[in-house]
Amino acid sequence: MGMQGHSREADHDHAEISKSSPPQYYDIMETAVRELLIEKKMIEADEIRRQLEVLDSRAPALGAKIVARAWVDPAFRARLLANGRAACEEFGISFYDDTQLIVLENTEKVHNLIVCTLCSCYPRPVLGLPPDWYKLKPYRARAVIEPRSILAEFGTIIPDDVEVRVSDSTAMVRYLVLPRRPEGTEDFSEEELAATVTRDTMIGVVPATVVVGRIQQ
Amino acid sequence: MTSTENLVKRLPNDIGGLPAEPIQRVEHSLEPWEKRCHALADVLDFHKIINTEEKRCGVEALGAEMVGKLSYYERWIVAFANILFRKQILTPEELARKMGEVEARWDGEAALGGLSDL
Repeated sequence: MGMQGHSREADHDHAEISKSSPPQYYDIMETAVRELLIEKKMIEADEIRRQLEVLDSRAPALGAKIVARAWVDPAFRARLLANGRAACEEFGISFYDDTQLIVLENTEKVHNLIVCTLCSCYPRPVLGLPPDWYKLKPYRARAVIEPRSILAEFGTIIPDDVEVRVSDSTAMVRYLVLPRRPEGTEDFSEEELAATVTRDTMIGVVPATVVVGRIQQ
Repeated sequence: MTSTENLVKRLPNDIGGLPAEPIQRVEHSLEPWEKRCHALADVLDFHKIINTEEKRCGVEALGAEMVGKLSYYERWIVAFANILFRKQILTPEELARKMGEVEARWDGEAALGGLSDL
């Protein structure tokens, strides 16, 4: 059957890639737990395969499209700020978990930063998986107590008269920063606007900027 | 404050507000097994076998030494195993036997080497 062919191909790839490095303890444990749960019919192999594809399909480019749409469409922006999840779903981004999404708008007076002090909660349906530094102690420990120092380490200086707000994510509530639209982008298409929005702008550690060279074009 | 008071007030995951080093902007692409581990976590959540909060608590229950020394997905898979034992979905013996099988299977493939390319 088709599955057999697929599985043989997977084995082949596996052998090709890791010939010189046998699977390690935790790698073996993952395979063993997964196979036992499949044998017990608690999960299906195909669910894992499909979720791997879902994970591969999520990247900051999705969030960037949301931000660009919010910049050009005030009604969408209002819906996004009122209910982040519903607005993303309307845009065609499915949420594969039970989380709610709160979108935090940066303004002249407020700069937002998101963190998960307890672990690594992150708006994964919209941004994909978080960078390692987001999951490591320095960011998690310091973001809530000295956000301006953290921002400075990313090269972002927030004026003293701008309030810095830090939002700490939970298992059920995730945040996404809606960065400010860069100046000089009045004639940009939605696609060009999306290109100014990177992952880090939606975490809040840097502002959205026009890529140098774009203006000269 | 007594010398142990901090241990009571701060579980291993609860590090918000503690002093820490400068940010090191490290990133890595997930290893195949790490990505599978992430997909497994999501599927376990869909079926309400292990939800996100149980996973977080399971990692915390590993204790400070394991939390400090294991990598991110290593903590996850060990926490999953412990939670599945506690929920009597798996037994430690079952898992040990299966891990032996998985390892033997790989050794078998490796023994065939390039000849398995049929």
